[in-house]
Amino acid sequence: MESKLIDHLFRHHSGKMVSVLTRIFGLAHLEVIEDAIQDTFIKASLTWRHRRPDNPEAWLTQAAKNRVLDIFRKLKTERKHLPIIKHGMDIIAINELFLDSEIEDAQLRMIFTACHPNLDPRDRISFALKTVSGFSIKEISSALLTKEETIKKRLTRARKAIQRSQLKFNIPQGKTLPERLESVMEVLYLIFNEGFHSNKKEKLVRKELCGEAMRLCKMLLKNQHTRTPASYALFALMCFHSARLDAKTNAENEILDLKTQNRSLWHLPLIKLGNTMMNKAVEQAEFSCYHFEAAIAAEHLRASDFEHTNWGNILHWYQCLNTLQPMPTHLLTMAVVCMQNKDYQKAKSYLDQLKPQDFAQRVYLYYGAKADYYSAMDNLQGAIKNIDFALDTVINVLEKDYLQKKKSALLSNKQE
Amino acid sequence: MKEFMMIFVGADYADLGLSPEELQNRMGKWFAWGNKMEKAGILRGGNALNPNMRRIVGENRTVTDLTSAEVKEIVGGYYLVEAKDFDAVQEIAQDFPDYDLGGTVEIREITVFDQ
Repeated sequence: MESKLIDHLFRHHSGKMVSVLTRIFGLAHLEVIEDAIQDTFIKASLTWRHRRPDNPEAWLTQAAKNRVLDIFRKLKTERKHLPIIKHGMDIIAINELFLDSEIEDAQLRMIFTACHPNLDPRDRISFALKTVSGFSIKEISSALLTKEETIKKRLTRARKAIQRSQLKFNIPQGKTLPERLESVMEVLYLIFNEGFHSNKKEKLVRKELCGEAMRLCKMLLKNQHTRTPASYALFALMCFHSARLDAKTNAENEILDLKTQNRSLWHLPLIKLGNTMMNKAVEQAEFSCYHFEAAIAAEHLRASDFEHTNWGNILHWYQCLNTLQPMPTHLLTMAVVCMQNKDYQKAKSYLDQLKPQDFAQRVYLYYGAKADYYSAMDNLQGAIKNIDFALDTVINVLEKDYLQKKKSALLSNKQE
Repeated sequence: MKEFMMIFVGADYADLGLSPEELQNRMGKWFAWGNKMEKAGILRGGNALNPNMRRIVGENRTVTDLTSAEVKEIVGGYYLVEAKDFDAVQEIAQDFPDYDLGGTVEIREITVFDQ
């Protein structure tokens, strides 16, 4: 008896089976479906204790198939409207929906449903993690650092929005596809960032979110209609960022910036995969934000050490990005990049375009950059004043530590 | 050597709202435990029990169908193991995976009649 199953087999299989059964019964019966699938996993976890099936995945699929009739009976007694199988769907047709290619198709439909513009943007991530990725409410709340109660509300709201607008369970076609695909990529990007920038103590949770976003993005690349330059670029971006995930924190879980990261910890296979994806992304001259963000990430990875970073190139990519998608954070980063390049005049010209209220709860980043600027200008008083503003507004403990260290360094400079 | 039964009480997975991921992790621990006993050559059998039960009580043979929610401490399964004494089985039971979910292990010795 082998003691280990494929990592996340249950979680992934849950997403697959919920999608397939939704294709059979329709989105209206999502809750019944989710309960039924959950039940197969409980049964599996009990019976497998003593006897492991030879092919666990096939066992789970068969169990899900067997549930189809149960659900059908249950819905029939509840006299609920049965959209597809009211004329009796034959067994062959149902079997076909469980083929690998059809499972992928069903999952893609679920992704598009979860990321539908009719859903509140905040609800999309939770709903996607629940239905497509097989996360529990507890797991979502822990991954997103949000209360379980809030996640529950988001899921209910998402379900209601789906019922209210009677969403079709399909992959959009024609003119609506690009817009809907953009919404999907945005959600995947957000899921990834939740993982990559998370303040969560456990590295594992962060990795899981990043991994999940990549898995879903890969699904986009498998389908000819959703395989676009932008989705390739998004995947490349995820590869490049993930390559640095292990180097981002030290053993004490402190955040390390690019300057102090141990570059030998960067994961080479992911960098290579990112490069391959990037090459595909630029086959057509149709550039998205993800292209430029990936280009920036790649530029960082290319430098043998921090001192060798090509800040000129990075600034160029940020300018492209800001033209396509003007944002205060881009300008702020451009200011920081100019300071790295010792072009303080240009840095100031960017900083002068910005106001604290542009940044809401991330205003500490703005003050932090200003502190750096004053420090470079040998204006220690100005630097310390801004560091104090930053410390007053920062929430995250790790980033607070980081700023505190910076302040101590400034103060000791002052004494010298 | 004697034979003992480890009876697992409580920690009903259906009621605990465990996620697929958690269920898989739990199962991994059960695998590991089962493997360990098998390797030691002490495992004599075992089963998991479905939570649904039918109870027959009294002279009138009154029948009730019950679900796990209606039973306080439901037996979820058992293992039969061969061991020297209670202490040895207690040692084996250290690896029972579900203590943190409120699960209990009851150790009982199988009665053997010497003729």
